[in-house]
Amino acid sequence: MQKLLPYLYIAPAFVVTIVFSFVSMGISLWASFYHYDAFAGAAAFAGLDNYRRALFADDSYFWLSLRNTAFYVAMSVVGVLVTALPLALLCQRAERFQALFRTLYFLPSITPGVVLALVFYHLFGVWGQLLDNAWTALPALAILGIWSGAGYNMVIFLAGLTEIPRHFYEAAEIDGANRWQQFRHVTIPLLRNTLVFVSVMTIIGSFQVFTSVYIMTQGGPERSTEVIAYTIFVNAFAIAGQMGYASALAWLLFAVVFVFVFIQMRVFQSRRIYDE
Amino acid sequence: MTRSILSTLALCLLSVVLLRAGLTRALVDDLLANEQKRPVTLRVWDWWSPSANEEYGQYFAEIERRFEEQNPDIDVVYQIVPFGNYVQKLSTAMVGNAPPDVFQSSVYWAEGFYQRGMLRPLNDLLEQNRHAPPELQVTEERFLPSAWRHNHGEDGTVFGIPQIIDAQCLIWNLDILQEAAQTDREIRALFAHHPDGRIDYARLRFDAVRDWDHFRRLTQKLTVRDESGQIEQAGFVINAYGGGAGMFSPWLAANGGRYQDAAGTRAHFASPEGVEAMRFMAQLYWEDGVCPPFRRQISDTELFQEGRVASMVAGTWSGKDLMRNTLGWDHFGKTAFPPGPSGSGEQKTMTWGNMLVITERCTNVDAAWRYVQFVCSLEGNLIRSQTLGYNGPRRDFYDTEQWQRAIAERPYLSNVKEICLAGDKLRHTEIIAVNHQANPVIETLLLRFPEIQAGRGPYAGIEEALRVAERNVNGVFDRYNEQVARWRQRGGSN
Repeated sequence: MQKLLPYLYIAPAFVVTIVFSFVSMGISLWASFYHYDAFAGAAAFAGLDNYRRALFADDSYFWLSLRNTAFYVAMSVVGVLVTALPLALLCQRAERFQALFRTLYFLPSITPGVVLALVFYHLFGVWGQLLDNAWTALPALAILGIWSGAGYNMVIFLAGLTEIPRHFYEAAEIDGANRWQQFRHVTIPLLRNTLVFVSVMTIIGSFQVFTSVYIMTQGGPERSTEVIAYTIFVNAFAIAGQMGYASALAWLLFAVVFVFVFIQMRVFQSRRIYDE
Repeated sequence: MTRSILSTLALCLLSVVLLRAGLTRALVDDLLANEQKRPVTLRVWDWWSPSANEEYGQYFAEIERRFEEQNPDIDVVYQIVPFGNYVQKLSTAMVGNAPPDVFQSSVYWAEGFYQRGMLRPLNDLLEQNRHAPPELQVTEERFLPSAWRHNHGEDGTVFGIPQIIDAQCLIWNLDILQEAAQTDREIRALFAHHPDGRIDYARLRFDAVRDWDHFRRLTQKLTVRDESGQIEQAGFVINAYGGGAGMFSPWLAANGGRYQDAAGTRAHFASPEGVEAMRFMAQLYWEDGVCPPFRRQISDTELFQEGRVASMVAGTWSGKDLMRNTLGWDHFGKTAFPPGPSGSGEQKTMTWGNMLVITERCTNVDAAWRYVQFVCSLEGNLIRSQTLGYNGPRRDFYDTEQWQRAIAERPYLSNVKEICLAGDKLRHTEIIAVNHQANPVIETLLLRFPEIQAGRGPYAGIEEALRVAERNVNGVFDRYNEQVARWRQRGGSN
């Protein structure tokens, strides 16, 4: 009984995960091979038709939305790294009110995305009509993504920074390293695992960007902000009988994200740096 | 100690909030009322939300009160579902085997719902209804022809009864027009006359705008610029971001074109008439300069309500919203769209009639049908007119004293019946999917017209852009019709 106890503890979470994640994913994989309609149920076996259409049809927006998503991901990852890390460094140095700063920067992360999107929708209208132009709309959405994600990632970086043993900095100081050299040769290498974690999570999150697009631009202007999650949504819920096609798009997105993350994990393989 | 008190308080507060959130109005009514339970509960869905406009609340309360008075065995329970989530929610309800008995269906979805086998055919019920008193009859001959278009299949199967009639129209700011009319005879000629010959500055003639050239001239005259050339008051407004695509259909109809065929198998908007209509819209903005700059965040309606534009495209239903948003201002008038160079010479627009439908899985068809008959009867039409300021889809509605009184009190309604009658059938096949294919192209044409004209844009010209959009829309139609054939094979459709 004693041996079974841990399994009993994790059983509820396990069941929930299986039913609401893996079973749902299984159904969507199955649906991707059918002309599936949410109202009428599966109609006819489609084989690879849905995938073929997504990849090769003239009126498919898969590649366009993938390109837009990739730009968004690139801007978001860079943006999050260059804002969250400096914020964490500054916060770490703050001798007073550190908890207050941490809370303030974290606030956007707990604010509902719809609220943020509505606020920024009007702000971007005031600030040079960024959403009105096909060249600036996607960067504007990325700015919102970075702003709302920076605080959360700052907290992760802060945890990573506090884990770096103090004596590395002391040794570097004795060797005459200045602040920049300490950052370059101590902080960055020892923060490697956190950097990998933050960038992987940001990539995954950014690939799934939806709320801001849905609220602020609906994919426009001129399809410049049509990202893949939005395309999936439109096909799944707004167009009759396209649930199978939308499922195929979702699995293609999964494949792309998987490849990205896999490569990243291989390149920046996690390891225990301090033992080296 | 303090911590435990605070925790207890927080817990109590949370419990109160959760309890209040969990108590629906029906449950609260049940708990508080001493009324006897009615044996039949009728679940009705609608998107007219009292949270958006309190008049909808008054409307539903009045309908419920009068209907339940006449039908003591039925308890009507309303569920308000936002328009944007209607299809998703309905999908979930159908899959979860808990669909409403009756719901208001937009013409956006009605045909698709019917083809999926979700709606109950009403022909047998209509046959019985022929013997009802005239004001309770809801058969075809009781409705304006333009209202009875979207509610039946090609084989004559009726799946909905129109409860409203809507049309797109041009709305004019009569304050601006009246001022301009003092010095301009052409603008003065837009107004109707009193029986004694005086100009009636509260009403426009239905055929006030003769053609597109006339419209361009009028909007140019009504556009006022400041010393630096910036538009202070625009003659017309186009919102390129989404809204602009919406006005393409009525301008196309006014130019003798069609968006799609009746069967929903082919798109027809990349025609010479369509190219002409698209060019006309772009010219208004780029060449005539009669529109304010394209701005995503500022809607046409906001500009109109602020008196910054003289005319805009809206719906025949929008009068009450304008009045509400401007705290009672009603000095505006409505016309249909003037004919284009390839048009028939008559005023045109697009008309549709959203309808009440009964779901295929409705368990109490008798109660549902009684409700549909009541809401779509003359009495129901009059309640909507009284509480919401809507005109009705029924012929006899326009003969009532109440309608004449409504026109006298709100003269902007005076052309509404003619506008609704002048409309072609609004496109009806897979509208959302079609919008997804065509609207971004129209948006691009509006935003980048000068580049496209100069051969530097993403399309070689308007013709090519519309051809691309039409090809993609045909793809939507092809896929949809294949899907319908599969539904039919499975016995889904009737």
